[in-house]
Amino acid sequence: MLEVRNITKSYGEGRTRVTALDNVSFTLGKGKLLAILGPSGSGKTTLVSIIAGLLGPTSGEIVIGGHAVHLRTASQAARFRREKVGLVFQDHHLVPYLTAMENLLLVPHLSGRVTRTHRELADTLLADFGLTARAAHKPSLLSGGERQRVAIARALMNAPEIMLVDEPTSSLDTERGLQVVELLKAQVHERAMTCLMVTHDPRMAAHADESLTLIDGRATR
Amino acid sequence: MLALKELLGSKLKFSLIALAIGLVVSLTMVTSAMSEGLLTGMSGAKSSLAADALVFQRDTYPTLERSILTANDLKVIAATPGVMSVYGVGHTFATVGSAEEPFDVRILGLGDRFDQLPIVEGTGEPGPGEAVVDVTAKLQGVELGDTLTLTPVNAELTVVGFTEDRRYVMVPALFVSLSTWEDLHVASVLGRVEDEGGADAEAGARMAREFAGSASIAAIELEDGVSIADVEREFDGSYALATPADSARAGNGMPEMILAVGGIQVVSIVIGALLVGVFFYITTLHKTSQVAAVKAIGASNAHLYRELIIQITILVTVATVFGTALAIAAGAGMPPMMAFDPDPVRWATSVLAIFGTAYLGSLFSLRSILRIDPATALGRTEP
Repeated sequence: MLEVRNITKSYGEGRTRVTALDNVSFTLGKGKLLAILGPSGSGKTTLVSIIAGLLGPTSGEIVIGGHAVHLRTASQAARFRREKVGLVFQDHHLVPYLTAMENLLLVPHLSGRVTRTHRELADTLLADFGLTARAAHKPSLLSGGERQRVAIARALMNAPEIMLVDEPTSSLDTERGLQVVELLKAQVHERAMTCLMVTHDPRMAAHADESLTLIDGRATR
Repeated sequence: MLALKELLGSKLKFSLIALAIGLVVSLTMVTSAMSEGLLTGMSGAKSSLAADALVFQRDTYPTLERSILTANDLKVIAATPGVMSVYGVGHTFATVGSAEEPFDVRILGLGDRFDQLPIVEGTGEPGPGEAVVDVTAKLQGVELGDTLTLTPVNAELTVVGFTEDRRYVMVPALFVSLSTWEDLHVASVLGRVEDEGGADAEAGARMAREFAGSASIAAIELEDGVSIADVEREFDGSYALATPADSARAGNGMPEMILAVGGIQVVSIVIGALLVGVFFYITTLHKTSQVAAVKAIGASNAHLYRELIIQITILVTVATVFGTALAIAAGAGMPPMMAFDPDPVRWATSVLAIFGTAYLGSLFSLRSILRIDPATALGRTEP
C-alpha cells in the first residue's frame, strides 16, 4: 500500500520560488498499476523521485507499507530502494558495459552478494521476458524494446513492494510500447506490487488500472 | 565488480586513458632523471668520492679547482682528533690532444683509494702514467689500452680501465695516482708559464718540491660518533669542510643550475599531476547518468566512491608501471653523454602527486554528481 499525503515540493526562495508539486495526495493498493499523466513540467518525475527517496519533499508524507519514506537518511533511502523499490527509467539506463544478465545481477550485487538463488531468479525473469537468448548481450546489441524489458526485469530482481516506472514507452513505437505496458501490468498483478507509471501517452495510460493527472503540480484523478 | 567490469568492458577506452597517464608519468620521470643526470654530469666525480667529508684549503670552499693542501696540511688533518683516515684528491685540467677531435678532461688524483671506482672495463688500479677513465670518453673514440697525449702538459697516459658516472663539469674524469697527478699538475702550471715565454727551470724544480705530497683537497672518514661539526671545531677555521654531496652542489654555477633543474622538475610534476586530475574530473563527469542510475537502483554513496577508488587505483597503477617502463627504456636508449639518472624519491613524488590528483579529480567530480538532482543527473527529458 502506497500513501502519498499532502506532498508539496518547492524550489528556490521568494520571487524565484517554484512549486513543482502542490499538496498532492492519493492512495494506491497492492496489485494496482497507476498511470500518472500530465504535460511537460507538471511534476510527474519530481513525484516519482520523492516516492523513491531520491528527493525529499518540502512538506507532506510518503508512507509505504506503513513506513514513512520521507524521513529516511540518504543511506537508509539507498537501502530502501535496494530492498523495496523497483525503478525503470525513461531511457532504460542499463549499465552499458554489463550484459543483460549482469544488469539484473547488479541489484543483488549492490546489496552485498550474488547467490545461486539470484542467478536462478535472473534466469527466470529473462525467460519470462523472452530474453534468454539475449542474456549475454550488452545493451548496445539489444533493440529498444529489449532494453526496456531488461530494465523492467532488473527492477523486479529485488521483488519490490513498489515499482516506479518513468516513461517506459517514450522511445518505443506504439506496438512495442503497448507490449511493454501489458508486460508490466501482468507482472504487477502477478506479484501483487504497487506500481506507478509516468506517461504522457493516454493510449498507454488506458491500460493501467487507475490514472492520475498532474497539472501545474496539482493532482486530479 | 563494477569497477573491474567497466575496465574490462571498455578495453580500448581505458587503454587509451592508461596510455595518456603513462605518458605523463613517463614525461615527469624522464624530465626528473635527465635533470638529475645533468647534476651528476656536473659533479658526479666529486659527489661520489668515498668520504664522510671533504677538506678544502681555507677560504676556497667549495672550489676544488682553487684549493691546494700541502703535505704538511694532510698530516695535520690526519692528526686531527676524530679523523679516522685521510686520502688526498688532486685536480687539474687537461685536453686530450691525441684524439681526432681534442676534448677536455678533468684529471683527478686519488690517494690509494681506487677501490671506490665502479669499474666497467679493464682494471681499477692504475700505475704511474696510467689512468682509469670515465666511460663517456669512449664517445670520443677512447679505447682500453690507448695512450692519451695531454696538452698543454705534453704528457701521456695509458688507459687501463673505464669507470662510470664519474664526470666533472660535464667532461670525463681521468683518475690517476696522486704521484702522477703531482707531475701533471706541476707540468700544467709550468706549461702555461712556458707558453707565455717565462719558462724557468729553477722555478719549476722548486715548484715540484713544493707540491711533493700535496693534494687539492683531503677526503676524510670520521671515527664513530664524531660529526663534521666536531672536526670543524677542531680545525678552528684552518680549513673548510663539507660533505661530498654538499660540496658537489656548490661552485661551477651549481646553485643556479640546481634551482633551474628543481624548477623544471616541480613544474613538470605539477603540470602532469594537474593534467591527470582534470582528466579524471572530466571522465568521471561523463558518467553522470550512469552513476545516477546505479544510485537510483540502490547503490549507496559509499559504494560508488569505493568502486571509483578501485577503478582509479587499477588504472593509475597500470599507467604508472607502463610509464616507468617507458622512461627506463628511454633512458637505456640514451647515449652516455645524455645524462639519465632516475631518482627513486623524485619518481615516488611524481607518482604520488599523480595518484593524489587522480583521486581528488574523480572524487570531487563524483561528489558533484551525487549532489545534483537525480532526475537531472539521469538526463531525463519531458516529452
